[in-house]
Amino acid sequence: MSPETNQQAIKPVPLKPAEPVVKETVTFTINDKEITVPKGTTVMAAAKQNDVYIPHFCWHPGLSVAGVCRFCMVKVEGRPKLEIGCNLTATPGMKVSTLTPEVKEAHKWALEFHLINHPLDCPICDQAGECKLQDYYMEVGQYKSQMERPKVLKPKAIDVGDDLVLDTERCILCDRCVRFEAEVTKTAALGIFNRGDRAVIGTYPGKKISHQYQTNIVDICPVGAFTSKDFRFKQRVWFLKHKPTICPGCSTGCHVDVYGKPDTRTYYRVKPRESDVNQFWMCDTGRKTYKHLNQENRLRGAITSGASRKRATLAEAYQVLAEKIKSASVQDLALLVAPQYTCEEYQKFFEFFVDKLKITKVFEWREPTEDRKAFDGILYRGDKNPNSLGLRQSLEKRGLVKPGQEIPGFNDVAASGATCVIALAPEILFQYPSLASQMALLEELSFVSLWTVSADLVASKKIKHALPMKGFAEKTGTFLNFEGKVGQLQEAFPSAVEDARDISETVTSLGEVLMGLS
Amino acid sequence: MSGFSEGLKTKIEGFLGRYETRRSAILPVLHAIQDEYGWIHEDHVEELHSKYQLDRIHVKEVITFYDIYKDEPVAKHVIRFCKSLTCHMLGATESMAKVESYIEKKGLQNSFELEPFACLGKCDGAPVMLIGKDRFELVTADKVESILDDYTKASAAPQKGGTHGS
Amino acid sequence: MVAEYPKILLAHQGLPDSRSLKTYLSQGGYEAAKKAISMGPAQIIDEVKASGLRGRGGAGFSTGMKWSFVPKDLPGARYLICNNDESEPGTFKDRQICTVSPHMILEGMIIAGYAIGAAKGYIYTRWEFQKEIQYLETAIKEAYEAGLLGKNILNSSFSFDLDHYMGAGAYICGEETGLISSLEGKKGQPKLKPPFPAVSGYLGRPTIVNNTETLAVVPWIINHGGKEYRKYGTEKSPGTKLFSISGALNRPGVYEVPLGYPLMKLINDECGGMQPGRTIKAVIPGGASAPLLTPSEIQDATLDYECMAQKGTMLGSGAIMVIDDRQSMADLLRITIDFFAHESCGQCTPCREGTGWLANIMMGISEKTAKTEDVNRLGLVAKHMGGKTICALSDACAMPVMSYVQKFGDELRDYLKQGAVH
Repeated sequence: MSPETNQQAIKPVPLKPAEPVVKETVTFTINDKEITVPKGTTVMAAAKQNDVYIPHFCWHPGLSVAGVCRFCMVKVEGRPKLEIGCNLTATPGMKVSTLTPEVKEAHKWALEFHLINHPLDCPICDQAGECKLQDYYMEVGQYKSQMERPKVLKPKAIDVGDDLVLDTERCILCDRCVRFEAEVTKTAALGIFNRGDRAVIGTYPGKKISHQYQTNIVDICPVGAFTSKDFRFKQRVWFLKHKPTICPGCSTGCHVDVYGKPDTRTYYRVKPRESDVNQFWMCDTGRKTYKHLNQENRLRGAITSGASRKRATLAEAYQVLAEKIKSASVQDLALLVAPQYTCEEYQKFFEFFVDKLKITKVFEWREPTEDRKAFDGILYRGDKNPNSLGLRQSLEKRGLVKPGQEIPGFNDVAASGATCVIALAPEILFQYPSLASQMALLEELSFVSLWTVSADLVASKKIKHALPMKGFAEKTGTFLNFEGKVGQLQEAFPSAVEDARDISETVTSLGEVLMGLS
Repeated sequence: MSGFSEGLKTKIEGFLGRYETRRSAILPVLHAIQDEYGWIHEDHVEELHSKYQLDRIHVKEVITFYDIYKDEPVAKHVIRFCKSLTCHMLGATESMAKVESYIEKKGLQNSFELEPFACLGKCDGAPVMLIGKDRFELVTADKVESILDDYTKASAAPQKGGTHGS
Repeated sequence: MVAEYPKILLAHQGLPDSRSLKTYLSQGGYEAAKKAISMGPAQIIDEVKASGLRGRGGAGFSTGMKWSFVPKDLPGARYLICNNDESEPGTFKDRQICTVSPHMILEGMIIAGYAIGAAKGYIYTRWEFQKEIQYLETAIKEAYEAGLLGKNILNSSFSFDLDHYMGAGAYICGEETGLISSLEGKKGQPKLKPPFPAVSGYLGRPTIVNNTETLAVVPWIINHGGKEYRKYGTEKSPGTKLFSISGALNRPGVYEVPLGYPLMKLINDECGGMQPGRTIKAVIPGGASAPLLTPSEIQDATLDYECMAQKGTMLGSGAIMVIDDRQSMADLLRITIDFFAHESCGQCTPCREGTGWLANIMMGISEKTAKTEDVNRLGLVAKHMGGKTICALSDACAMPVMSYVQKFGDELRDYLKQGAVH
């Protein structure tokens, strides 16, 4: 087995927390700050763990050490030459400095070498604003360039994947993308061809990167060599704000940041956030989960009458639903719930409908074709719902389902004899390819109140009652992922849809109306 | 392009089994292909990828990294003329100009192609050149024509005999 | 006066059919291998340490010390690699050993392999040495047929396999970890150290890479003892060494002399002096990567590691290039820089960009479009390329550049002032 095949990839997430291992530690200093780390830790990793910043391009905590950018130069007291922090193992008592004049001079020159053949096309580069070359120029550069010769020209704007555009002139050959391909996805779709300053990153001629982790390459590219087709030329990053949340795309529940423009409440992208769930990565399916938040056809208001599409106020809609519930017997009522809402929302929802109103007919709304056990070996799971476990726990707590027992599903709703169904629709519609036929079944029931983010589900005009919901990025709460790890959602901006509410708010308001009826 | 010849297949399989890893065989395999075809075609890389599990990206990296491998057609005989220090000091630049004018004058662009090269590791015989795999020493400008004439004749003969030079 | 000294590496030069196993055996060949196997690994390493043998590839590191870095008790494969890539411009000494006594290399490898516990060895030779590769492959075949390689060699319990591997035109494969990458079927890019190859080399296994000349001298040391070897050369640079000497000399070639041998004596005696009408303008003492020496600096220069270091240059692989008065330093500097820019593996930024940048500036100088301050800029860029990379190629380019600028800066500036000639 050659060594390149067994590099660290994403480690499968352990089902139980690892047994605490008593490890030998090493204490040393960086810039006089005392740092204690497990034996064997590199100076770079130790610095990162202790919030000391050592400038670097090629080092990435999720990849093997390449040591090629030569930017993370540090001075170790008593040693003649500067050394790279990424390949320097911390030893007891070692005194490391990143601030000596020698190190500062090395940083300036390292940056100069990185920039002599760089096109400096920041005004048209999407990476501008989050580019390491720009950042370091301000932090450690600020020199007058010695470069007065024509630059080396290389291929630009190459289509290398469904979401990837490559500009090899901007590339600084840090090799992160190549290591990502070799170590994380193990697809080895990228290589560095030629040598010297003719060296160039690329796919095999005519081949494209086709896996669904490719946009991670854009994230780890420290410069603007790889840009995302989805994000390219859409927005300057300094206009964007981001908030931490959880990807709703599957039951892995990757920790992510959603990026949007607060003034227009428009979302532009989802990026992974480092965590023990997803390390540094996420899949490209997950990256699409921001789109529905912006869709023009988002359900913008409540509906109380299908055919006429009369736009109702929330108060009117609550009134209609409350009266419907009031007039129905418990046997007539059923709840159909997709596992895409937060634990807090389920708590509030079941507290009201099950604990208080004593509804017992509860069904889970899932995609019938899904293979819940499937896993791609990296992050993406066959259970395409972010909170299947949260929903199950809520139901088990109430004795509505026993541990290990299947929750009654979508097809059981009609057979249950319920005439008034309150349905919490899935939010990430593209994960429900059978949705059209499911909606057709729902539309045949005598009364369905559909709580949904998307107007798509009521487009047929046969759903007579619908309430607009907030999207995952617009609310605060938690998801439980496939192994019970808690993921925290945080409201990014107020919803773009004024009437959108989360389940908890809806239940509270509805409850007030219902109480008022008696 | 059809697949590798039977003889080449046998060679390739021999190399694949000869080293500790299949990947270690990439260089010898590419040498064998180039010896047979003069250069390495994209289809050869595809065949190595699909039939011999040598990853095309790894193969391509190797082809483009090393000077000897050609991924474009070349003339029948590549003349690698040493352009490095000692050869330059002893007249390689003039000799190379002579080689180029010889090829042009005789219209031998399909037979010979000059590739200035560094270094051939025989500086005591400077100026030095390789024609194909054959080394020639003390190739001063005045000797270029006769060497190339002789080489043309010898390679036109049905069986090219032995090696040349010292 | 230089004391009498033996020919060790070129002992068989001039013998009829010197490459053949038959001739080699007739000169006592493979006796050292027998002796070594009876000595045991630790004693071999001690003997080589006692000889003071320093690696002949260029770095001059103690060979015995290097061997002792291989972890003693680690189970699994270990490898011995003969670095026969000899690609430093000006160097052609290992080629000579292949031509005269390929079995000497093989015997050295058997001994070294036994000493470090390797069961497999490779000789890595540059593609350009087609003929020498044939010599080596023939020798390997002969050795297998004679039971000198393979299972239980020389009727001992030691088994040692040896294979040849051909490079494909890349200077960097002469760097030991670049060579290892190449042998692994990859681009010849040097590997980060640590880990060092003695611990994690070829395929992640303990590996010793020794230069051809280093290995070829080992049989003599085993036969005669480390102490005897120390009789020749200087205290810090013991033994004899091959020097490849080229330029406009009457008898350029490969000469074996003891370390510490006067440079001028080699030029005047062995090489018969400069060709008629030519005088020495400068000398490159250790391959294209060594800083130049001026005529005044070479008068008292001796061929050993310490004298060269003292003069701010290096002995390197012992490749002496004598530059005569007809040469333009601008041309030679351009050739030097272009070589390293072409050969940089492209991994480390300071080397990839620095060598290319120097070549770029030098192009301006050659075309006489540059400004006079560009000459100093060459030195400035070179200064900041040094000591910052995985391997020494960046330094190998930077060091000569700085010496050209320092010692021949005026000539370069005058060259520019002469105005465009093209």
